[in-house]
This record gives sequence, C-alpha cells and structure tokens, in this order.
Amino acid sequence: MAALVLPAGLLVTLLLVAPMLLLFRISLNEYSPTEMMVEATTAANYLRAVADPYYRSVLGTTLAVATGSTLLALVLGFPAAYWLARMQGRWKSLATILVLFPLLVGNVVRAAGWLALLGNGGAINAALLGLGLVAAPLPLLYNTGAVVAGIVAVVLPYMVLTLSAIIESIPRQTEEAASNLGARPMTVFRRVVLPLALPGVAAGSVLVFVLCMNTYASAVLLGGPRFKMMAPAVYDQFVRGNNWPFGAALAFILLGITLVLTVAGSAVLGRRYRRRETEERA
Amino acid sequence: MERPLILPSPGRLAFRALVLAAFALMLAPVLTVMVISLFRQEIVSFPPSGLTLAWYVNAWERQEFARGFGTSLQVALLAAAVGVPLGTAAAFALVRGRPRGGSALSTLLLGPLAVPGVVAGTALYMFYLRAEFWLDRDITSTLEGLVAAHVLLTIPWTVRLVTASLQGMDRAAEEAAANLGARPLTVFRRVTLPAMRPGIIAACLFSFIQSFENLELSLLLVGPGRTTLPVAMLNYLEFRVDPTLAAVATVQILLVGVLMLVTDRFVSIARTV
Repeated sequence: MAALVLPAGLLVTLLLVAPMLLLFRISLNEYSPTEMMVEATTAANYLRAVADPYYRSVLGTTLAVATGSTLLALVLGFPAAYWLARMQGRWKSLATILVLFPLLVGNVVRAAGWLALLGNGGAINAALLGLGLVAAPLPLLYNTGAVVAGIVAVVLPYMVLTLSAIIESIPRQTEEAASNLGARPMTVFRRVVLPLALPGVAAGSVLVFVLCMNTYASAVLLGGPRFKMMAPAVYDQFVRGNNWPFGAALAFILLGITLVLTVAGSAVLGRRYRRRETEERA
Repeated sequence: MERPLILPSPGRLAFRALVLAAFALMLAPVLTVMVISLFRQEIVSFPPSGLTLAWYVNAWERQEFARGFGTSLQVALLAAAVGVPLGTAAAFALVRGRPRGGSALSTLLLGPLAVPGVVAGTALYMFYLRAEFWLDRDITSTLEGLVAAHVLLTIPWTVRLVTASLQGMDRAAEEAAANLGARPLTVFRRVTLPAMRPGIIAACLFSFIQSFENLELSLLLVGPGRTTLPVAMLNYLEFRVDPTLAAVATVQILLVGVLMLVTDRFVSIARTV
C-alpha cells in the first residue's frame, strides 16, 4: 500500500525539493559579469541583500503591505464569514460559490478588473466626474492603495472560507445562551464568538499573510514601475539582471522571513487560544 | 437567510455594510472586466458609447491570446491527467495504509502549496537549465517542462481533497460489504471508490483551474511561441487594459463559471471546500 505514495512523493522530490536545494546552492555562488556565475561558498549575496538600502526598502514595503492587507482582510472577512456560516440551505451554497468563484478566476484577470475600475477613465473616476464630485480624475492607480485593494480582493476568499468553516463549528446555542444572560451583541462577539474562532483566525491570517508576501501580479500591474515588492524583485534578477546568485539569495530571504513570521504568528495565536482553554477549564 | 446576528440596528447596519464591502471587493473586478469587454470604444472610459461583441473576434485573431489559450488548455489537461491519479493514489495510501512517516510524507505532498510560486518557479528554472545541460535537450519553454511544473500544483490539491473525502467516509460500509462476501477489490470498486468520487471530481476541477490560471510558476518556464494565457495577459496588461484584453479575461471567467456549474451537478462544491 505504501508504494502508492511513491510516484507522487518522488515527483514532488524531483520537481520541488531538488530544485530548491539547487537554488540554495546557487545562492552561495558568486556573480561574475563575464561568466555569469562562479562556484563559491559565500554569504555575500545574503549580506548584500540585507545591507543594500534599496532591497531593505523593498523588503520593508513587502512586510508593510502584507501586514496591512492581512489585517484588512481579517476585518472585512470576519463579518462575511459569520454571515456565510450562519446561513442555511440553498442560499448558503450560492453564497459559498460566490466566494469561491473570484478565487478560481486568476489573479491576472482580477488585476485587469482593478485597472479598469481605478484607471483615469475607469469606472470610479467616471462616476465621480459624472456626479461632479471631482474636477479631474483622481490618481487611484499605481500607488500602494491600489496594490492593497488588489491584494485584499485576492486573499479575501481564502480568509472567508477558513473563518466560516470554524464559525460553523461554534454551536449557535452558546451565543444564544450568552445573549439570554444579558450580554450585548458586541460582548457576545468579543467573549464568545471571537475566542472560539481564534484557531480559524490564526489559520486564516497565516495563510493570507503568506499569499500577501508573495504577491506578484497585483504588485506589478497595480503598483506601477516604481513600486517594488519582493517576488517581482526576485523575478527581475533572473530576467533582467541575470544575477542568479543574488536572485536566489533574495528568494531564500523571502521564503525564510515568511516561514519565520508564520511559525511565530501561529505560535502566538495558538498559545493565546490554549491559555483561554485552560482558563475556562479551571 | 435567517437571522444573521443578534445585533441592534446600528451594529447590524455596520455588520451588513462590512459584509457588503467584502463581497463588493471580491466581485467588483470580475464584473467590471466582463462589462468593459462589451464596450464599443477602444480606450476604456465610462459610460460606453455603445456595446459590441467585436472585441471577442479581435481577441481570437490576436495570435498571442489564441495560442496562449491553446497552450494553457493543453498544459492544464495534461497536468490534471497526471497529477490527479498520482495524488489520489497517494491520498488513499496515506489514509488507509497509515505508513510510517505518514505525516512527513503528507507535508512533502502538500509542500508545493507552501512554497511561493515565484520561488518555486525560479528554482525549477535553474533546475531545468542544469538538466538541459546534462541531458542535452530543451526543457524550458517546452510543453513537457510546463506540464511537469504544473503537476506540482495539482498533487497537493488532489491529496487534500481526496484525503478529506476518505476521512469523512464510514468504514462500516466497507466491513459490511466484506462480511457479505465481497472480495477486497470488489469492496474497493463498489464501496470505497464511490465514496472517494466527490473528492476526485473536485480535485479534477481544482487541478485544472489552478494550472490554467497559474502565473508565477510559469513566468520563467514559458518561451517564445509557447506562452500560457495568464503570462500573455500579463505582458499585454503592462502596457494597457482595453476591451480586447477584457474579452480574453471574460472568456476565462466564463470557462471557470461553466466548469464550476458542471462540477456542481455531480458534487456539491460548497460542501467539498
């Protein structure tokens, strides 16, 4: 029976594990303008990426955008997830499909939609001009706000689906009991729903944060030429710069920071949840 | 819909506004693209001077989109055809065989979801270049190279979905069949396989769509004359958004919609996810 795992396991080892090891090896090499790459074992590429103010600011932008987008997705996603979780019957499948549908329509398609919404001749500016609210089109595109809007729209379905799965598992009676005992709706939310939903909040936030950190299409298309995030910076090194060792180092810095932050994030949120559980038992 | 939340009216209003904002944010870009694909004027502006379907013809006549569509279709079908059987077999063995190191194995199989697309894509690109040198044949910008990369996307989705359907199954049915004299293979064919069916169908849908829509993994692996549709669209969008591109995007949206509806006739998508 175990033999059935082998083909898939070998394929993933060959096409993911081996290439990642190779990329790591390349990140320790030296770049040479004449030979492209010289075999070496040096941390110079990593040090350069950390020391260079340009790449520090790229990393800073990436972290700030990812954190902000994750928080925004959480604030917007929680009510929608609650609404979805407490729905019943046919409408529920319809609403679930409405959440799933944009997720399955690719990032590029949705970025095209944002370009058409936010551009100078786009829907929002046309509406504002038509209503006489502004005299000239607002510069809505090619800035951080546009990128955040694009990213939040991309990651929201993941957040909503993760959260609604866990909210569904919270029996409605617990909420009713709290409100029958006189708790106000905000108190019910703060003291009953949110604590019980924390594992979902942790799982959803970690998943979404990883997606945000690795944003490519939204950053390239909605941020404009001067806006840079890590994933496009990695790609640029391989295509435009041809500095493979440095690009590989950037890739591993991105991967490493994402991993460390997600592990730390889920540990912190997980510990809060466990502490609350022990408090309740005591 | 039933009572959504026990809230007084200002709170309930804020709640509704947030729910509405979330859905608007998710659906607005998709709907906008579909609408502007019908606009008559070439430079997108609202309101339209008229409506036309001419851009769909124009999009099809542009080689990069027609060929990109063909390539993406081929890659997605082949990747799903390879990845779904492999992933299904692995999921079955992991749930039923409980092999030693099972959790490490399932982490490995779900790994492609954890590694960012651009990172995995550059790693594969370097790996392919090295393999090209050893094997003395082209791999980057070939169909095989793209399919192999996309199989990487289909395996974790399949493992996840089929595992879920196997774990949700009642083993008593298998035991009953065996007790009534069914041979192991018959039990598998008549009881186990039907129970896995919703997971497998959902895995086909997700694998196909994940591959068809993928951008990051493919960026470095496409080549002249062999570009996937999302890469072709990205290259075009770096210069402009116009009704021709919106038409291409709309075709893609409709394709996803039709696939979801067809799949939903066999298994409830809302319940498999």
